Amino acid sequence: MSYKTLVGLEIHVELMTERKMFCNCKNEFGSMPNTNVCPVCLGLPGALPVMDKQAVKYAIMAGIAFNCEIDNTIIMDRKSYFYPDLTKGYQISQSDFPLCKGGFLEITLKEGTKKIRLERIHIEEDTGKQIHTDHGTTLLDFNRSGVPLIEIVTKPDINSAEEARLFLEKLKNTIKYIGISDVKMEEGSLRCDVNINVVDEDKGIKSNISEIKNLNSFKSVVKAIEYEQERHIALLESGKNTDKETRRFNELTGETILMRKKFQASDYRYQFEADLSKIKLSDDWIKEIESTMPELPDQKKKRFIEQYNITEYDASVLTQSKELSFFFEELVSLIEDSKLAANWVMTDVMRRLNEEDKEIAKLNLSAQSLAELLNYVKSGKINNNTAKKVLREMLETNKTASFIIEKNGLIQISDEDELEKIIDEVIKENQQSIEDFKNGKDRALGFLMGQIMKKTKGKANPNTANKILIDKINGN
Amino acid sequence: MDITNLKSWELRDKILNKEISSYEVTEAFLEKIDEVEDEINAFITIDADRALEKAKQFDQKLMEGEEIGILAGLPIAIKDNIMTRNLRTTCASKMLEKYIPPYNATVVEKITREDGIILGKTNMDEFAMGGSTETSYFGPTRNPKNKSFVPGGSSGGSAAAIAAQESALSLGTDTGGSIRQPASYCGVVGIKPTYGLVSRYGVVPMSNSLDQVGVFGKDVKDAYIALKSIVGYDPLDATSSKKAKLEDIKFEEISLKGLKIALPKEYDELRVEGDQEIREVFKKSLKVFEDNGATIEYVSLPYLKYALETYYLISTAEVSTNLSRFDGIRYGHRALDYNTLDELYINSRTEGFGEETKRRIMMGTYALSQGYKDEHYKKALKLRTLIKNDYDRVFRNFDIILSITSPILPFPFDSVINSPVDMYKADTYTVPVNLAGLCAMSVPMGEVDGLPVGLQITANRFEEKKLFTAAYGFERSAK
Amino acid sequence: MISKEEVKDIAQIAKLKFDDDELESFTEKFSLVLDFVHHINVVDTDGVEPCYGIGDENGFFKEYEKEQTLDREEVLKNTTESEYGYFKILKVVE
Ligand SMILES: [Mg+2]
Ligand SMILES: [Zn+2]
Repeated sequence: MSYKTLVGLEIHVELMTERKMFCNCKNEFGSMPNTNVCPVCLGLPGALPVMDKQAVKYAIMAGIAFNCEIDNTIIMDRKSYFYPDLTKGYQISQSDFPLCKGGFLEITLKEGTKKIRLERIHIEEDTGKQIHTDHGTTLLDFNRSGVPLIEIVTKPDINSAEEARLFLEKLKNTIKYIGISDVKMEEGSLRCDVNINVVDEDKGIKSNISEIKNLNSFKSVVKAIEYEQERHIALLESGKNTDKETRRFNELTGETILMRKKFQASDYRYQFEADLSKIKLSDDWIKEIESTMPELPDQKKKRFIEQYNITEYDASVLTQSKELSFFFEELVSLIEDSKLAANWVMTDVMRRLNEEDKEIAKLNLSAQSLAELLNYVKSGKINNNTAKKVLREMLETNKTASFIIEKNGLIQISDEDELEKIIDEVIKENQQSIEDFKNGKDRALGFLMGQIMKKTKGKANPNTANKILIDKINGN
Repeated sequence: MDITNLKSWELRDKILNKEISSYEVTEAFLEKIDEVEDEINAFITIDADRALEKAKQFDQKLMEGEEIGILAGLPIAIKDNIMTRNLRTTCASKMLEKYIPPYNATVVEKITREDGIILGKTNMDEFAMGGSTETSYFGPTRNPKNKSFVPGGSSGGSAAAIAAQESALSLGTDTGGSIRQPASYCGVVGIKPTYGLVSRYGVVPMSNSLDQVGVFGKDVKDAYIALKSIVGYDPLDATSSKKAKLEDIKFEEISLKGLKIALPKEYDELRVEGDQEIREVFKKSLKVFEDNGATIEYVSLPYLKYALETYYLISTAEVSTNLSRFDGIRYGHRALDYNTLDELYINSRTEGFGEETKRRIMMGTYALSQGYKDEHYKKALKLRTLIKNDYDRVFRNFDIILSITSPILPFPFDSVINSPVDMYKADTYTVPVNLAGLCAMSVPMGEVDGLPVGLQITANRFEEKKLFTAAYGFERSAK
Repeated sequence: MISKEEVKDIAQIAKLKFDDDELESFTEKFSLVLDFVHHINVVDTDGVEPCYGIGDENGFFKEYEKEQTLDREEVLKNTTESEYGYFKILKVVE
């Protein structure tokens, strides 16, 4: 039996504008409740919205980044529903005329790249927040009310939980690149709803779409899709079908539970928002936004391959996050050696990031301090192995490379006279190995080098020592 | 001598000449309020102490030779759907019975800056829905010309306050005739300015694509002073116009000679019972224009026939969403009794809103609901375009359009209100102006059975100067 | 003609309630108004652009100078119940 899973995502992203979307309250997170509100975002009688230019600019940037067609006229709508966190009984949103239409995002699968098409990106305002207390009350804070959002709606082009994860990661990364949101799921600046159904391709039947709301991590998205996929298939196999309904994901059990039957989207009574005159955007302004767009992940990857002569794989890892790519480029500019920089970032730095499940910004390491360490390697003052140890200590103690190297006397011995004395001793003590080497056992050389390192506490310049050793064995 | 019967421009001159103080003027109007308010009920809230205090401050300012705003210490009454900081603003609804706004409407800021003295908040139909000021939670306003008749509405309190000499000037709002019709019924001048000329910030919307703040005065020059004080672009109102300005007008130089007047044929076809005598007065008024050198021609605006229906669909659709914010949570009436969220909403709203308000919310909800939206709301938006196009065509060749303001006389209490459709039909002449965003004015043109009737002058967008020219020319010659 | 049931449904969407007596007279009045607005159905509006704003000027964006953030005391002064700086209602979990 062959089933195909169809997933469409609706993603809300809070824009990091200076002000809220329709008033001049600051757009900030974490103020005391109801201290960052005004007549407009509180929905007081008589207050009127006026559109924020930066919010529109950021939405257009998203549209450009996701290859959308940008509509040059802004017409807003009222989306009506009653809810305590909604101040006006309607949300100012866009229905018939989304700011950005179409578009796509490419994800990289083992089989190659796949295009996930977008339906639209529109702009709308955020709501306030509810807190349900233990003693039977609900408290309302409207500081978030009126924060600008974009809603990104995909077509049902996603066919697995893994594809959804890859898509979300790429989307998050791209948004970070263009700097329009901090996309923190834990703070709610990125929120994702999943629409899912499955198709029984043999029988040609489909399950009804479930909508899963309130997913607050990529992991939850993955688990919810996996759970729903099975639930839908199981129902189809038993000759039943799913109901068209909205469900909630329970993180503790990993299951989805029914929230409400039918979509309440049934009647939002969309209406043209006459408080906001339509705004025709000038072509010049849109072009200006286009021409000042920050580099996007795919563009950067391409440039890295060409400019730094690194592999496609390395380039895609290094451009996975904006911060990492910046870190890498800064490192290259400081040590003027892209191969060395790529190697170190890809191995030691990435390993550390993975171990600690951190982003580069949170790691105790700046590009400058790593560059200082790598310049010791480049100039031959310490060797690679020593450098790895130093890096570990740097990360643990937050001390500089030079401090650690000097304190421990780690500058490698490159002085030939000094090395010769030590190598003479090693040769004297290991005649058998010399014979083995001469008889073609290459491994013996490694053993001898090891002995040299042992005597020098790892400080011998490996290239110089190697050369002297071979010269000596060959009888010079 | 009773100074409350003087025109505002006369009072203004006397204040500026220091013949009389703003304090004395304010006191005189407050005394008049004391005297007649029990009967008229033009006000919901009277702010006497603060008004006197402000008047005193103004007189001090005048004494010290500071620059003086256009309102020059004149008392002004504000319709109660316009936000006044720290002064109760109710929209004549139980919903907002105790509402104290934390901010001022832009027009209130302007009035303060122009040295107007705010006397209080005037009565109106609840949330500006109605044409008689009978739907007010605070009881109806009576027509000062004959107290067993309605003053018109929804700005009935503001019109009556002028007619009863309770205030020198007043502000109203006009969505489909809510300034012009009460002006007609009370025998005063009322202006509905071009959509976008006056800021709507802080004005509780009834139908936000149609609403406009306007003014009342005893005569045309009074209305001019009042309007001049509130016009202007407002960055807080995205529908306000950057062109919003009212030119200076030299009234003594005004002439009707060469004024090109259009009369829509469709108005003649729209007969409402009992309007014959009003039409007679209208004919006499036309003669005044002709005698003074204006030319009059019939024109056709074919889509005017659908203006009322279009108006009621658009306005109720907007009403339904504009009034959604009244949910009892952040402000306004909250039901004591509720166990679920739905009950909180339903009980609060059902208790807080009056019948007419609920009817229009229902109508608008219906017009916007799925399955009906295209044949109702969308269709109405298209008809609005057609109606606007009709006017655009007429104003390419004409300066103004003349009509009667209301096809019916002020009516006795509890008479028409039971038939909503008849009540709507009374708005035949006023409603299209709002649909096309034009400016219009009602000036007294005579009486029928001892009740005043108004002449409606309509001009193209931002052509308020033409309104004043026609209105003043008529007012002067009709005397 | 609109039925009482339809009126009830619309009332539910609008968050309003009418008792049976009211519903009767309301449905009647409501029907009259609906009959009246249905007149516009005879007009052919194919190809006509809906009116999205009556002015011909281009809209504008917000100016940043006009900050209107309110003191919390003012924010909460018109509500029935508040607690710890929040608006408060009875728990209303769906
Ligand atoms: Mg949304
Ligand atoms: Zn705000």
